Amino acid sequence: MEATIKVNQLNKSYATVKAVDNVDICVCRGEVFGLLGANGAGKSTVIECILGTKKYDSGTVSILGMNPLTDRKKLFERVGVQFQEASYQERITVAELCEVTQCLYSDSLDYTDLLKQFGLSDKLKSQVSELSGGQKQRLFIVLALIPNPEVVFLDELTTGLDSRARRDVWKCLADLKAKGLTIFLTSHFMDEVEALCDSIMIMKKGKSIFCGTVQEAIALSPYEKLEDAYLWYTDEEGNDYENI
Amino acid sequence: MKTFSTLFKTELKLSLRGMDMFIFAICMPVVVTVILGIIYGSKPAFDGADYTFLQQSFGALATIALCAGGVMGLPLVVSDYRNKKILKRFKVTPISPTLILAVQVAIYALYSIASLVLVYATAAVFFGYRMGGSWNQFIGAYFLVMISMFSIGLLVGGVSPNIKAAGILASILYFPMLIFSGATLPYEVMPSALQKVADILPLTQGIKLLKAASLGLPVNSVLIPIIVMLVLAVICAAVAIRFFRWE
Repeated sequence: MEATIKVNQLNKSYATVKAVDNVDICVCRGEVFGLLGANGAGKSTVIECILGTKKYDSGTVSILGMNPLTDRKKLFERVGVQFQEASYQERITVAELCEVTQCLYSDSLDYTDLLKQFGLSDKLKSQVSELSGGQKQRLFIVLALIPNPEVVFLDELTTGLDSRARRDVWKCLADLKAKGLTIFLTSHFMDEVEALCDSIMIMKKGKSIFCGTVQEAIALSPYEKLEDAYLWYTDEEGNDYENI
Repeated sequence: MKTFSTLFKTELKLSLRGMDMFIFAICMPVVVTVILGIIYGSKPAFDGADYTFLQQSFGALATIALCAGGVMGLPLVVSDYRNKKILKRFKVTPISPTLILAVQVAIYALYSIASLVLVYATAAVFFGYRMGGSWNQFIGAYFLVMISMFSIGLLVGGVSPNIKAAGILASILYFPMLIFSGATLPYEVMPSALQKVADILPLTQGIKLLKAASLGLPVNSVLIPIIVMLVLAVICAAVAIRFFRWE
């Protein structure tokens, strides 16, 4: 299968800390890839290195066969991104933010349809700053989907959403996946990862400690649930006890 | 083009919602014009002068908005957008940094031009102001001063590490220039020692240029201001674009 996102031997250090240590990633077209790990494990740094918003020390990155640093303008016509922290202009309304995002692309989807899908239709005239955390989160997923992307990066997809909204977002993403969208996401919710991801990578201190399918992750651990297996891999359980 | 016009429209709306530029670039120049008009009316600029005090001050009044937009508005908005990671979000879209800067420059240019029109209308309608020199020369000089003020602003916004530094730098540039370059307090009423200090401010040179153009004074007196404005514009704009950072 054709690799949509390909990362080889990625390395990135901050001063003396190795934030990303020899990471390899390969995501095929139409696949949902989940990057897991504790806070500070290096997930966001990996995403930012892939997107070119951070410079990496060594390795190669390609998305849709393009280099994000040199082919930036061409590549980001076809890639949508939702960052962990929502950033927007002061006093901007939902409709204005969508309109501004839409105008950046030569080809885009109608944002009113997307807002409807994500249950934000009645918020068009509201200021973004007045939205609840969950509404903001959904709005930024909408923004990532406006360019009608072939690949979308979602950093902490459903953090801040209630159960209902999370299920709705999953359903939207499953529909998009069925249409061939490639999704790269990070998440702290194992139920979400099980429901959405074809393959996962677990990171710890900048290193990849597991890479494969959810089933493989469970099979290789002494547990039967992904959450237990994940904690076993990252050894968080032990740390938690130490903290107590 | 669609990108530019949509961004321009939205950013202008956001800026107007903020009110600060409306106050500093639109209201303030008109207020100062009215005050100078009431105090000096149509008195001659000095004994035996063949132009009025207001005619002499018109060029200076026209730069209040340039100074507010260029040295205060522009650097703050650029550094604010970087600080809030809005530029970072733009980086993962196809837009070019030059276009983002161009939109902001266009907005502040619009404020400045609106202010120029209002200041002229106020002076002409209420205080009988007439342009003594040539409008063409004046407009040319006005845009030269605008380019140079705006590039200073872009440079400050571009190189400031954070919004706080940008705010401090902008204030250091803005307030002295607003008060001592002759934009509000007329240069002509300052003691000559103060005038010498004021001469090092870039806006003072810009105002000399505008004054000469609006009064129709000979061109050779403005050679130095023209050179200062050009050099500033080229250096600041080049450095700002060269060192533009998304984050």
